[in-house]
Amino acid sequence: MPLLELNHVSKKFGGLIAVNDVSISIQPQEVAFLVGPNGAGKTTVFNLIAGMMHPDQGKILFESKDISQMSADRATKLGIGRTFQLVKPLRNLTVLENVMLGAFLHTSSTAEAAHEARQILKFLQMEDIANLPALGLPQAKLKRLEIARALATKPRLILLDEVVAGLSTSEALVLADLLAKLREWGISAIGGVEHVMQVVMRIADRVLVLDHGSLIAEGTPQEVVHMPRVIEAYLGPKYKEFVQ
Amino acid sequence: MDAFFSALQAILNGLLTGALYALIGMGMALIFGVMRIVNFAHGTFLMLGMYATYFIFVKTGLNPYFGFILASGFLFCLGYLVYRVLLRHMPVQSDFMQILLTLGLALIFTDAIQLTFGADYHQINLPLLAKNVHLGSHISLNAPWLVSFALAVVLGSGMYWFVMHTMIGRAARAIAQNPYASPLVGINVHRVQAVSFGLGVAGAGIAGGLLLPVFYIYPTVGDQFTLKAFVIVVLGGMGSIQGAAVAGLVLGVVENLTSLYWGNEWALAVDFVIFLLVLSLRPSGIFGSQRV
Amino acid sequence: MKRSELVIAAFCFAACLLVPLVVRADYNLQVLFRVFLFAAMGLAWNLVGGYTGQLSLGHAAYFGAGAYAMALLPPLGVPIWLALVMGIVAAVAFAALIGGVSFRLRGPYFVLATIAFAEVLRLVAKNLPNVTGGDVGTQVPSLFTHAISRSFYLAAVVLTAAAFGITVWVSRSKFGYYLMAIREDEDTALSVGVNTARVKLEALFLSAAITALGGALYGSLFLFIVPDQVLSLDISNEIAIVAMLGGAGTVLGPILGAVVLETASEIFKSVFHEAHLLIYGLLLVVVVMFLPEGIVGTVNSWLRRRRAALAAGARPQARRVSTP
Repeated sequence: MPLLELNHVSKKFGGLIAVNDVSISIQPQEVAFLVGPNGAGKTTVFNLIAGMMHPDQGKILFESKDISQMSADRATKLGIGRTFQLVKPLRNLTVLENVMLGAFLHTSSTAEAAHEARQILKFLQMEDIANLPALGLPQAKLKRLEIARALATKPRLILLDEVVAGLSTSEALVLADLLAKLREWGISAIGGVEHVMQVVMRIADRVLVLDHGSLIAEGTPQEVVHMPRVIEAYLGPKYKEFVQ
Repeated sequence: MDAFFSALQAILNGLLTGALYALIGMGMALIFGVMRIVNFAHGTFLMLGMYATYFIFVKTGLNPYFGFILASGFLFCLGYLVYRVLLRHMPVQSDFMQILLTLGLALIFTDAIQLTFGADYHQINLPLLAKNVHLGSHISLNAPWLVSFALAVVLGSGMYWFVMHTMIGRAARAIAQNPYASPLVGINVHRVQAVSFGLGVAGAGIAGGLLLPVFYIYPTVGDQFTLKAFVIVVLGGMGSIQGAAVAGLVLGVVENLTSLYWGNEWALAVDFVIFLLVLSLRPSGIFGSQRV
Repeated sequence: MKRSELVIAAFCFAACLLVPLVVRADYNLQVLFRVFLFAAMGLAWNLVGGYTGQLSLGHAAYFGAGAYAMALLPPLGVPIWLALVMGIVAAVAFAALIGGVSFRLRGPYFVLATIAFAEVLRLVAKNLPNVTGGDVGTQVPSLFTHAISRSFYLAAVVLTAAAFGITVWVSRSKFGYYLMAIREDEDTALSVGVNTARVKLEALFLSAAITALGGALYGSLFLFIVPDQVLSLDISNEIAIVAMLGGAGTVLGPILGAVVLETASEIFKSVFHEAHLLIYGLLLVVVVMFLPEGIVGTVNSWLRRRRAALAAGARPQARRVSTP
C-alpha cells in the first residue's frame, strides 16, 4: 500500500498551469526526489501535499486517506512534515525553542518538548547552538533547523523543498547521510532539487522529473539521467543526441 | 412626491459633501493605498489646512476659495518634511509603528493648534454663504458647497492626472509595486515618496480649506475624517485613486440618506458597517485589484 | 522567568498590597489604581498583541462590555458577581465576532477592522439612549461601599497580579509557544500542526475576559460611564501604547509601560497642564523612532546580542573559503 498517492492532480494560478495532471506514488521507507528547474512546479506539489494549497483537479491520498482538501495543520497532525524552500525559522526564538514547536505536536508538557527537541538536536549535531537565537544563523544551520523542527513532529513522510540549496557540497553530503538514516527509521522523504546531483545519485531510490508542471520522467537516478526527454528539458533539443 | 424630493435633495447634498470626501479619500489613497503608510494624522492635516486658510482669511481678508491654494502649498511642504524627517525611517511592514507615530503627530499638531488659537469654535462669514441655488421649487443647494464641489472636481482630476501621467506619479506607483527594483531603474525613492506623501497631505489640506466656509473650525475638527478616509480608500479599492473618488461620492450620498431616514447619529456607524462588510466580503473594494 | 524571579515578583505584589498603609489620600490611591488597571489591561492586550502579534486597536470593545454590564445589569436585579461574569461573556462574544472577521485580514486591515468594530459599538451605545443612557451616560453601582479608593486600588493590584500570573504561565506553556509561532510566521506555525485560527481566537478570548474585568472595575470606581470614554479609540490606544511602550511580547513590559505612561501623564497634566497632550504626542513619536521594541524589549535585544556576540567570539570559527 503506497504511503502517498497523487492521482491526476492539477493546479492553476490564474492562467498559469503550475501542476499538470501529475500522478505520483510514494512507498513507505522510500527516499524520492522531485527534480526540476525553477518554475517546474516542485514547490507547488509540496504545497499541495502539505495542505497549504488544494488541487483544482485530482486527489491526494495519504495512507489511503483523502487529504486533498485538508488544511496544513491537519496534514501535519496526520504525519506529513515539511521544510520550506525559503527557510522560515522563528527568528526571535532559540534553536531549541524552534524545534520544541514541532515536539509540541505530541505533548503538552514544556519539559517533555524540550527533552525531545534536545534529542533531535543531538542527532543532528546541533546541540552546541541550542540556546542561540535562530536569528543570524548561517544558511546551512538554518536548513538543518528546519529539518529538526519537522522531525520533531514525528512525521511518516517528510517533504524537503530545495533541501540542498545554499549548501556546499560537503554540507550536502552530510545531509544525504541524514536522509539515509531517516529511511532506517521508517520515515519516507521527498526531496526537491533543481537538478540531479551527487546527493540524489547517492541516496535516491527514485527520481521524478517535472518540467513546466508535468511529470516527464520517473526512474532510478541512473536511468533518469540518461533519458532523452530529461536531457531535452534541461539542455534543449539539440543535446538529445548526446545520450549514450 | 415629497418623499422623492427629500431623497433627491439628500442625494444631491450627499454628492456635494462626497466631493470633499473624494478629495480626502484620494489623498489617503495615495498615502495608504499606494504608499502603504497608515496615516492616522490625515484628518489632523485637514484641520491644519482649515486653520491655515482661516489664518490667511483673518489676517489678509483673502477669500478662502483662493486662500486654500496657499494653505495647501504650506501643507505640501509640511507633509514632505514629515516624510523626510520621520516616516522614511519606518520599515514598510511596521504598520503599527506608523499608526503610533502618526497618532503622536496628530496629538502634537492638535494640541499645538489649541495652544495657538484656543479651543473655541469659530466660524467665518462670507456673503456667498447665504446664497442658495434653486432647482425647481423643491431642491435647494447651498452655494458654497457648489463652489467647493466644482473646485474639488477640478483638483481631484488634477491629482488623478498627476498620479497617472506624470513621471513622479508613475515613479510612486512603481515604488509601490516593487520597492527593491525601483532604485535600480533610477528612481530616487525617498524623494518620490516624500513628494507623494506631501501631495496626499495637501489633498487633505485642500479639503480643509474648502470646508472652512461651511464648517465650524476647532482644533479637533479633523479627527472624524481620519477614519472616514480609511473607509473611503478600502471601499474604493486599494491603490485606486479613481476608486477613492467614487467611493467618496458614494459615502457622501450614503451618509446623507442615512441621516434622512434614520437620523444623523447613525451616519458614522453606517460608514463603519460598510467598511467591515467590504473587508469581509469584497476586500479588494470596488475598483481594487490588490489582495488584502 | 526563573523560579527565583517569580518569588521576587510575588513579593513585589505583596508589597504593593501594603501600600495603602502608607498612601492614604484618595486622589493618590486613584492614580495608583489607574497605574495598576492599565498594567492589567496592557498585560491582557499583550497576550494578543505582543505574543500573538495581532495588534488590536479595538480593545475598548471588551473594556466597554465589562463596564456596561456592570452598569446595566445590577439595576435589573442581577447580583454584582453575576454582572461581572456576564460582562466577560459579552466581551468573549464580541471577541468571537471581531476575531472571526478580523483575523482573516492582514496587517493594517486587521488593525482598522478592530477599530471599526469598537467604533460601531461606541456609536450603538451612543444612539440607544433608552438602553444605555446614550451620550449622556449611565450610572454604575459601586463594587465596594467601604474605604472605596483603597478597595479599588487593591482590586486593581489583584487583577494585575492575576494577569501577570496568566502571562507567565502562557509564556512557558505550549499555548504560549504556539502564540509566538503565529506571531513569527503563520505558515511555519501551520506546518508544525498549529490550528492558527483557533489558537488566535483562544488568545483573544482570554485577553477580552481580563479586559472586561478591567472595564467593570473602572466603571464601578467612577460610578458613571459614557460611551465616548469606555468605548473610545482613546482607551484602545492607551491600552496598546502601555504594552508597546513597555515592550510587547515581554512579561514585565506592560507593567513597566503602565508605570511610565500613567505617571508621566499625571506629571504632564499637573506641570504642563495646557500642553500635556502635546508632550504625550512627543513621547509617542520619540518611542517609535528610538525605542521601537519598548523599554524591556530593547533591553532584552541588547542582552541577546551581547550573548550571541560572546558565544560567537568564544567558539573557534573555522574560516571557510566556500565554493558552492
